[in-house]
Amino acid sequence: MTMIEARRVTKTFGSLVAVNDISLTVAPGELRAIIGPNGAGKTTFFNMITGFFPPTRGEIVLQGQDITRTSAQQRVKLGMARTFQITEIFPELTVRENVRIAVEAADGFSLRVFTSRADTDRLAADIDAVLAMTDLSGKADRLVGELSHGDQRAAEIAMALALKPRVLLLDEPTAGMGEQETFQVAGLIRRLHKQSSYTIMLVEHDMRVVFNLADRITVLAEGQMLADGTPAEIAANPAVQAAYLGEAH
Amino acid sequence: MLQLVLFNVTNGLIIGAFFVLMALGVAMILNLSNVINFAHGNFLALGGYLAYMLVPSIGFWGALIVAPLIVAALGFVVERVMVRRVYNRDPVYSLLLTFGLAFIIQDVCRYIWGVSGLPLTIPDSLSQGLSSDLFFITGYRVFMMAIVIVSVVGLFLFLRYTRLGTRIRAGTLDLDTVAALGINVRLLRSLNFAVGIYLAGLAGVLAAGQIGLNPNMGDDLMMPAFIAIIVGGVGSLTGTLLGGLLIGVASALTTTVMPSAQEAVIYVIMAIVLLTRPRGLMGEEGMLT
Amino acid sequence: MSSTELQAASAKPATAVPAPLPAPLPVAGARGVAAGLPLTGIIVWALLLSAPLWLPLIGGYTALASRVVVMGLVAMALNFLLGFTGQMSFGHAAYFGLGAYGAGLTLRYVANSTGLAMLDGILLGGVLGTILGALICKRRGVYFAMITIAFGQIFYYIAYSWDSVTGGYDGLRGFTRQPIGVGPFVIDILNNGTLFYYFVLFVFALATGVMSLLLRSPFGRTLLAIRENERRARFLGIAVDRHIWLSFSIACFFASTAGALFALLNNFADPTSMHYTLSGIIVIMVVMGGMRTFWGPLIGAAIYVVLQDYISSITVNWMSFIGLLFVLVVMFFPRGILGMIKQRSAP
Repeated sequence: MTMIEARRVTKTFGSLVAVNDISLTVAPGELRAIIGPNGAGKTTFFNMITGFFPPTRGEIVLQGQDITRTSAQQRVKLGMARTFQITEIFPELTVRENVRIAVEAADGFSLRVFTSRADTDRLAADIDAVLAMTDLSGKADRLVGELSHGDQRAAEIAMALALKPRVLLLDEPTAGMGEQETFQVAGLIRRLHKQSSYTIMLVEHDMRVVFNLADRITVLAEGQMLADGTPAEIAANPAVQAAYLGEAH
Repeated sequence: MLQLVLFNVTNGLIIGAFFVLMALGVAMILNLSNVINFAHGNFLALGGYLAYMLVPSIGFWGALIVAPLIVAALGFVVERVMVRRVYNRDPVYSLLLTFGLAFIIQDVCRYIWGVSGLPLTIPDSLSQGLSSDLFFITGYRVFMMAIVIVSVVGLFLFLRYTRLGTRIRAGTLDLDTVAALGINVRLLRSLNFAVGIYLAGLAGVLAAGQIGLNPNMGDDLMMPAFIAIIVGGVGSLTGTLLGGLLIGVASALTTTVMPSAQEAVIYVIMAIVLLTRPRGLMGEEGMLT
Repeated sequence: MSSTELQAASAKPATAVPAPLPAPLPVAGARGVAAGLPLTGIIVWALLLSAPLWLPLIGGYTALASRVVVMGLVAMALNFLLGFTGQMSFGHAAYFGLGAYGAGLTLRYVANSTGLAMLDGILLGGVLGTILGALICKRRGVYFAMITIAFGQIFYYIAYSWDSVTGGYDGLRGFTRQPIGVGPFVIDILNNGTLFYYFVLFVFALATGVMSLLLRSPFGRTLLAIRENERRARFLGIAVDRHIWLSFSIACFFASTAGALFALLNNFADPTSMHYTLSGIIVIMVVMGGMRTFWGPLIGAAIYVVLQDYISSITVNWMSFIGLLFVLVVMFFPRGILGMIKQRSAP
């Protein structure tokens, strides 16, 4: 069974057609990259998958369940976690506190006033596990707002992981980063892909990251799907070559 | 009986007109700058008091033109010196600022002109009733309605067809893009604020001619202004206009049936709107803030 | 176009640089509550418990202290919503007033019982606030503020027009607080101002104790998350609207508790305790003391009550000074006293 399926998804804003009749399927455990030039509709498409707003037409299906009209909050509960192009974190809290809020939300503790000793210990263990996964254990008590961009992104990904998701949706995770930080974040994503069963969807502009990590690549242009295939197929596709691979990062 | 109905409807329309004038001023400032101007009623009073000071020297007509302009200029200065500094911060600060201004202006009026009411003399040509039967339809009331209608139409024309007006409208939709186009957003906000205050000052002069002057004269119009905006839909001036008319007319009609509920009906309408169509009559989806 | 559509429709450049983070406000919140509580809390409680001893020495009087504690409680109540959940209520005085009327009406018409009066006051404001909260919990920002003001004014209107019950503009009179019977003992809070002060302090202690518990819990941290970054909170699966509703409801219950105490303090309740003017004053108390700190609002309330008491005794134009206070605080001391202290001492 596929993990995520988009069926003929379309989004119009008035007379502007941002996304036009896109269908794709993502298999469990797959790392899918979505690429395309500016204005291709990548983020709009992403926003519909994560429930930021509903599609004008078409369906979004998560492991066989139609989630087209499900709220963003509900989708998180169903196993979708996302990061944003501009890192969305709690900048004035420490890394640990950021992750703690995520862990408590995931375990359904958001409304709780009392936690037992056992619960507190379990939550702490979850927090430590996520921090270890993202290499942030040493920086756990620093304010997230004071960290480098790469670490902030890692913290945001940590929060997403804390939600124990089935699918990770990362919107331009290396946006605005230099060489070193891109390497750091890409490495983290690769680790997550190799060492666990997360399904990962990635919107990216950095072609090195895309071609190094992706199992499959979907190319969008002007709201429509241009091509869909393995990195080798995409690299060899003349239309894609012409339009996108010549674009400097 | 018919006379009674007409009496109430006339009163209601006048009140409704003031609701609209007041609400539009508050809405202009709210829509562009995200600021609730608690001092709006006090600028209204200031307009009335300034007219009072000016009438002996330049007459009523002169005061009608000049007083709102002075108040608007004052509003411009207030915006530049104080309100501007708190735009980028948590909105609570701009609310507190206008709150404090309201206290200050009200007390200053009280200090300068005293607590008791003062009359504003209006020209004889306006004070007569139309007929002995319809004595309540005085020339002044007709005049007030006319001025309000002209002002509202003028405002909408200004926003639609002048460059400044178009920029203000664009700014209420997307201020960042307006700034990116190279337009001086700071000046835009100041001018917009001044326009809103002008409307308050104008309402003050008109009201003074009808009910006289006192430091609290604008207070009773603040809540109807808010409710007109909520009912009409935040972000839409047309909505505010409709909202003001709606609650004004409803209030007027209620007076004929159950005078004590005149004020309550406005709140009831607001509650109904919030329950059934929370974004207001003409508000847009997603305009939650 | 709505803001979400605008955002979606605008093309993002390939090298989008993350927006610069806002200048950090004094560290508060989960860590702040825990860190601030020990020392500040000790000082505050020491001063409060000994107030009847040192207050007369500096020209104060016990009823003033009671007033400070009551206003401090309503300010802290508002801060629960404003400072810790990040939502602007400018109509909070209404629930304060409802608490006052609830207590007063009970004592006047129902029974001579302080306990029942307190209960009724707390419930009246709290329950009504909870109901209204459901209507507004989807709104944010200045629109949220506007509706809270409008709702508050509805209650103000009812208070002054339903004069057969509430006494109209003149207010509700004809009741006094009653001595409390505890077993064989009678605590004469009616005639003994000092005893009444400690009663007020007792209720205050209970309320702030509950408040502190809530803020340090996972629920409290969730509220903080909503304040810090609502979008991120939503995308962590947090039911944001529901949490805001709960926070609003809690803030109303605390406010009405303060209101009930207020009625007992003055043996009087009137519509001005519901008007948005008082709401604004409560907000300035919170901001003056430190909007994102736990004890800040109490300090702000103390400053305001003392200042207003003093200024109104020496000039008729005290409103100008209060207005000036608003303006000065907003422009020059936005972090408030405790906020500024915390910032200085932060590493």
